[in-house]
Amino acid sequence: MLVALKIKRFDPERKPAAWWSNYKLEAAPGDRVLDLLVRAKDELDGSLTFRRSCAHGICGSDAMRINGTNRLACKTLVRELGSRITVEPLLGMRVEKDLVVDMEPFLASYRSVKPYLINDEPLPADGRERRQSPAERLRFDDTTKCILCGCCTAACPVFWADGEYVGPAAIVQAHRFLFDSRDRGAGEHTAALLDMKGVWRCRTIFQCTLSCPREIKITQAIAEVKQAIVLGK
Amino acid sequence: MQSLINFTYASTHYRPREGMIAFLLHRISGLATLLFLSIHIVDTSLVYFYPQYYNDFIGLYRLPGFMLAEIALMAGVIYHGLNGFRIALFDLVLPSAWTIQRERLSVRLTILLAAILWLPAGIIMGGNFIGYTFLGWH
Repeated sequence: MLVALKIKRFDPERKPAAWWSNYKLEAAPGDRVLDLLVRAKDELDGSLTFRRSCAHGICGSDAMRINGTNRLACKTLVRELGSRITVEPLLGMRVEKDLVVDMEPFLASYRSVKPYLINDEPLPADGRERRQSPAERLRFDDTTKCILCGCCTAACPVFWADGEYVGPAAIVQAHRFLFDSRDRGAGEHTAALLDMKGVWRCRTIFQCTLSCPREIKITQAIAEVKQAIVLGK
Repeated sequence: MQSLINFTYASTHYRPREGMIAFLLHRISGLATLLFLSIHIVDTSLVYFYPQYYNDFIGLYRLPGFMLAEIALMAGVIYHGLNGFRIALFDLVLPSAWTIQRERLSVRLTILLAAILWLPAGIIMGGNFIGYTFLGWH
């Protein structure tokens, strides 16, 4: 099938800095949007710029807005979209070039929840790992799936209005450690979530859950973090 | 102001789903209610500060545009209350119910219930609008 690929371009050194590129490409229904982008760059316009690494939905580097919704280009098939495909950069983040956005503020929010296990207690007597039952592991299983692609945060209207809002991805990371039975750092994980830029800015709009390529129940996780803060977990 | 510009640009460049529509309706109805309450406080305060102007001000409520806006405001108040209850119920009591299917259904049910509850008030207020505007009621 012939696909009309329309890409939002941006180059700060060019005038005008923003424009649209249109390409016509022959594609199979099973091709991914990433395949089309790679072909457009290799065969038609070498200046086209986008991030991609693993190309298999794990690294999370090719998050972008495809036909108006945040998705991973490597997980989106042409057959899901039809013959007209529009690709734009994520919203709410500064565009550096074409589809590449500045992820640093997003990653700063991620770091603010201290996304690592905090436990200063002595190791078990046998000196090996801190044990955990399957049920305890299952409690935070869903939020371990996050790949930090930014689809959720860049789909959040609260984040669009205020880029300093910590955003759903960071709250998901806090959830992952808050509900880990081995963790003792609840206060440290939630410290960045308590102020006006924290978890209470969430308006349960649900865009994060709908845009997550890993199908994490993000709104549920955020509600559980709110409950944990108010009631204790 | 920059927040409003950023939000307006982004929300018109992202495909909206039920949650986004529910959020926008919630914000608009909340702001409309706040505006009405502010006007209402002003008109009531006239009784104390400038009683001679009170009847003139109340006359504004009989203007066709104002009466139509009040009918819409009634829908907004009912929706705002129901949607707030929906979010509080899911967020505070049933977080595990925040699934995509239930969220979509709950938004649609909230809008439907708001419309049903608004209907009696809408009929009464609509009757008043027609009477005062076209039938010469005083």
